[in-house]
Amino acid sequence: MMQRDPPALELDNPWPRIGWISFAVIMITSSLLGFVVLSRYQANSEPLDIWGAICRGLGISADTGAAASPRPPVRTPTDLAWTQATLDRIRAGNAERGGFVAMNCSACHEGSAANPSHLIPTLDGMEAEAVFKQLADYRSGKRSWGVMNAIAKALSVEDAADVAAHFASRAGKLQANSGERIPQGGRGFRQTDVGARLVFAGDPQRGIAPCSSCHGPGGYKIGAPVLAGQYPAYIERQLAAFAQGIRHNDIYEQMRAIARQLTPDEMKAVAEFYGAQQRQLASRD
Amino acid sequence: MYNSRWLALAHYWVAFAVFLPAAALGAWQMLMRSPLPAPLDDPNLYYASVTLHGTAMAYVVTTFFAMGFGYAVTATSLGRPIRGVTAAWIGFAICLTGTLMAVVAILSGQASVLYTFYPPLFGSGWYYGGATLLIGGSMIWVVLMVVNMAAWKRDNPGRPVPLAMFATTATALLWAWAASGVELEMIGIVLPQVFGFTTQIDAGLARMLFSVTLHAIVYFWLMPAYIAFYTLVPQAAGGRLYSDTMGRLTFIMFLLFSIPVGIHHLFADPEIGVGFKYLQSFLTFLVALPTLLTVFSICASLEIAGRHRGGRGLLGWIAALPWDEPMILAVGLSLVMLGFGGGGGLINMAYSMNSMVHNTAWIPAHFHLMFGGAVVIMYFAIAYEMWPRITGKALRSKRLARWQLWLWFWGMFITTIPWHITGLMGQPRRVAIFDFSDPLLAPMVPLAVMSVIGGFVLLASAILLIVVLVRSQVGDAVLQAPMRYALAVNPPVRVPASLNGFALWNTILLMFMILQYGYPIGQFFVLKSKVPVYEVTRQATAAGVR
Repeated sequence: MMQRDPPALELDNPWPRIGWISFAVIMITSSLLGFVVLSRYQANSEPLDIWGAICRGLGISADTGAAASPRPPVRTPTDLAWTQATLDRIRAGNAERGGFVAMNCSACHEGSAANPSHLIPTLDGMEAEAVFKQLADYRSGKRSWGVMNAIAKALSVEDAADVAAHFASRAGKLQANSGERIPQGGRGFRQTDVGARLVFAGDPQRGIAPCSSCHGPGGYKIGAPVLAGQYPAYIERQLAAFAQGIRHNDIYEQMRAIARQLTPDEMKAVAEFYGAQQRQLASRD
Repeated sequence: MYNSRWLALAHYWVAFAVFLPAAALGAWQMLMRSPLPAPLDDPNLYYASVTLHGTAMAYVVTTFFAMGFGYAVTATSLGRPIRGVTAAWIGFAICLTGTLMAVVAILSGQASVLYTFYPPLFGSGWYYGGATLLIGGSMIWVVLMVVNMAAWKRDNPGRPVPLAMFATTATALLWAWAASGVELEMIGIVLPQVFGFTTQIDAGLARMLFSVTLHAIVYFWLMPAYIAFYTLVPQAAGGRLYSDTMGRLTFIMFLLFSIPVGIHHLFADPEIGVGFKYLQSFLTFLVALPTLLTVFSICASLEIAGRHRGGRGLLGWIAALPWDEPMILAVGLSLVMLGFGGGGGLINMAYSMNSMVHNTAWIPAHFHLMFGGAVVIMYFAIAYEMWPRITGKALRSKRLARWQLWLWFWGMFITTIPWHITGLMGQPRRVAIFDFSDPLLAPMVPLAVMSVIGGFVLLASAILLIVVLVRSQVGDAVLQAPMRYALAVNPPVRVPASLNGFALWNTILLMFMILQYGYPIGQFFVLKSKVPVYEVTRQATAAGVR
């Protein structure tokens, strides 16, 4: 009788038997042909082995995965980060020992005998963080300048921290940047002196932040060197290097955008303004 | 017709009301693609039109026709009222709502994604919502077909389900399995994007899921024609069906082999391995089996009728057939188109040969000849057969109906044969504008113009169809002609349980689905191949740029 279908898996009944056997024959035949025979042979290469053929049949090949374009190596402006470990290392610098190591530096960075055109910065009174960072960048090649790369490579990280502590402890040309903001006249947009206007007010229309907000006087940002009292020739040369892309070791590369907006006359004005700062500040005291 | 009369009529009329404007769009599209000047010469309109024509013909006409036919067959073949008429009307309303949503979205120009969706291209949410409702509403029909057959079996233990009902239920099950792919695509991928739950879309997975539907849907369209072949044609010829068992086996094989073959639409998709492409290509060839079985069965049935009517000799029975009957004329024309279309289909389904014709004009030419020709001409014949039964009014007239069928036949050949050839010459499909002044394309000019002529012959035939149906609708009621289905030479008294139900075949199909689609779909959850969508945009073109 056929009131109900027989169980579909009951192979004793003829139609389920026919159905399942046909199913098995179809699946086995087509799978063998598809995954073993067809997948094995390739147009211009040797036939694959069985395992390779099955993988190819499934669509698994060496290049399976989302499409990826070759990635250029990541370029970072500097290898240094202002982590607590970095700061602790700088703070551990020994100024006395640094003075010994810094005897190598004095020929160029102190006095004018070997530095007649003042293209080499003075470092007396520079914050330890700035000196340490530049030495790290010279060491890793993120900044290059003359002999400094070789000299920085000769120094260990500990030497660098000591040297940085040494320069920071010396009273000299550079004005220590305390980060204090003292309201003063002559620091607004209406200032007629181009250098003073750019240093204290910047030029928002061109996206130029005031130099003093990081480099002082008044403002302070870790790693940004104090500039009041620095040689104008050096500052001007560095601004040009940032503008041309020769130098780009500032962590966020903000100097790139600023320096490119400045005209050569403005660079000169800013440099001269900073160079004259020591005298002004000194005379005020 | 019991309580199926208005149900069937409403479904048929929606189908044919959509059919006529869609046919007009088709003719315009052929003109647009040709070197001849076309009105409204704008590629953006062309793509919107392709979307509307495809959605209307492939989803709306077919779904409504199949549902209406299913209701009519259920009532007449089981000889009792349909159960669940209220649910059927609710399904009708849902499908109609979905259709309207989709049509409005396409007409607004925001959904020119072509009817196969093609993510990551993304159109209006109303379009996808409409398509989801249309397909979802048709699931009510699926349930009703299964419920009615099961209820009849319960009430008539031991008796074989009439072949027409068995085949209709096979159609419903086929559609339920087939639609699962597009439903998952809609619910799992497209609608979350519409509602903003996701920002990226896995185009490979979406195409994979759509492919589950994409080939089986063709057989869903085809099934009413095959049901007519087996149950209406021998009756109209005045003979008997050659074999009832062969009919059952045919529909079982369609159920089994039409669904796990969708990857043959993705032969050029890089995510799928060659093994699965071959596997489904292999199974696709098995779909030819039930078709060959049908051609044999129908020719044998017609021979029985022809000899019964006095035909003698080797081929004399052919001349003795009642060719003035629209049903007989239609089956003759349909089988000719099936022969040509089927031959083309064998090329499409072959993994290696497909690469010659992939994405060329050959493909639309093929499915127009096969579906638009061999299948839709049987839709016309079914309508001519059923209209008098439903309305109680005579067909006005058989002569016009024959004209309509002949016009459709020649129109389809004139359109599609040159179209096939331009495809072989390398003309891509789904492209609005060709520079026919290019020496490479110049040889296509006469072929493209021929296709345009065929397109307008088809439009004339479509108009004639509506004329005949409307004239028959408004006549005086004179007939009471019950629907009759062909008896087999040996009418089934007892059939094996497996040929009287679908439990076994559904189980085997489930295994097929797991083995054929489990890995190809599952791999996308590892591949991480999601990409952002891009919206349908209007492309700026200067007027008259051809």
